[in-house]
Amino acid sequence: MEGLDTILYGGIPRSNTILLTGSCGTGKTSLALEFLIHGAVKGENSLFISVTENSEKLLSNIIPYKFFDKSLIKSGRLVFVDLPIMYERLGMTKAELSMEEVDLLVAAITSLAEELGTKRIVIDSITSVCYKLKTSEKIRDFILKLGKSLSDLNCTSILVGEVPAESTSYSSFGVEEAIADGIILMANMERRGDLLRTLQVIKMRGTMHSRAKYVLDLTPMGVLLVPLLKGGSTG
Amino acid sequence: MSAHLASAKEIADQLNEVPPSSAVSLEMSVDNYLDVIRGVLDLFANKKEMDTIYVTATISSEQIRRVLEALEIDTSNIYFVDCISHIMMGASTAQQDEHTTLVESPTMLENLMLKVEYLIRRSQSKEKLVVLDSINALAIHNNNWILSEFLHILVSGLRSREAYAIIFSVEEHSTPDISNMVNLVCDHGIKAGKQGGG
Repeated sequence: MEGLDTILYGGIPRSNTILLTGSCGTGKTSLALEFLIHGAVKGENSLFISVTENSEKLLSNIIPYKFFDKSLIKSGRLVFVDLPIMYERLGMTKAELSMEEVDLLVAAITSLAEELGTKRIVIDSITSVCYKLKTSEKIRDFILKLGKSLSDLNCTSILVGEVPAESTSYSSFGVEEAIADGIILMANMERRGDLLRTLQVIKMRGTMHSRAKYVLDLTPMGVLLVPLLKGGSTG
Repeated sequence: MSAHLASAKEIADQLNEVPPSSAVSLEMSVDNYLDVIRGVLDLFANKKEMDTIYVTATISSEQIRRVLEALEIDTSNIYFVDCISHIMMGASTAQQDEHTTLVESPTMLENLMLKVEYLIRRSQSKEKLVVLDSINALAIHNNNWILSEFLHILVSGLRSREAYAIIFSVEEHSTPDISNMVNLVCDHGIKAGKQGGG
């Protein structure tokens, strides 16, 4: 991910847990998928855990990346799992998970990642998982435990977060942002009637990074970034 | 005033003396647009078999394509970034294909740069040319501060990719501010208008 790696002065540090957050239509899922595909192409086993959208539907809408080959999926280098199916198999049918079930879910995801030899993982979205956890304590517990166990596997994690368009917070529950090692914020920015897709790295432990706002385009060559021009900016 | 307008060959000859990674300011008169087009696209870029990314903010890519066809210029290596068709006709009417990318509005300068960047990455040709037609048209939609910043970032990016950049300006529509802005980022200048005399 050339553009993102440049503004991160080398890329996301290995084993970090990153919150990739933003409102709807800002390109979070595409960017997260690209992160996994690049990993899979490099030979790193990659896992996408879909919470809200069916994997098949997700794949049918994927950007026709030049570097994407369906053989990555056939070979098991890139794996898609639907979390609702995991919930069902774990017997988590209630609207709210108990503390024990939180531990069980963390163990199930970790065990799957370990079994698959996963080095890159995306959970899309963590916000949807949080809706099943309800309390800040459970959310904190879940993200901390999951982040640690995946980090112990030397796995880099991206947790996709959803926030309302006008939100000044980086996460819906206010907990996710505090726990993550890094925060990448994606947004739609209006300037004189034009809607621009923007990306900004808010924090990234373990590396220097640009704090500037960039305009992005999701292309078949991957995400492209250019600096937001300041001359006409009102934001 | 009787002035000598630079011929297509004279323009191409001057461009041939410029090394890759250069940014060239090409000031023309409205009367020699066709000679400029032939000199830049046919006698310079096509001769060198390089891909040309033609950013149009003046007239639609469709109109330019018709001009090129009339001049019998091969367009197979020319890729348009069209900043005007969408705003004038809407995306459904404006043509978008392998050779034409639309930018919603000439005020979306970042998106313009992103489309250029994408086409440069996609290009297989060794040498690449980016033509900006024209700075005056972009100045209608953008203030000088943002335009100046845009030019600086665009040209710096093209230099790092060793692409030629040619920035068109029309002398009849130019102002000292616009000329200064272009001169600041360009390292070569070609005067192809009435004032320059080739």
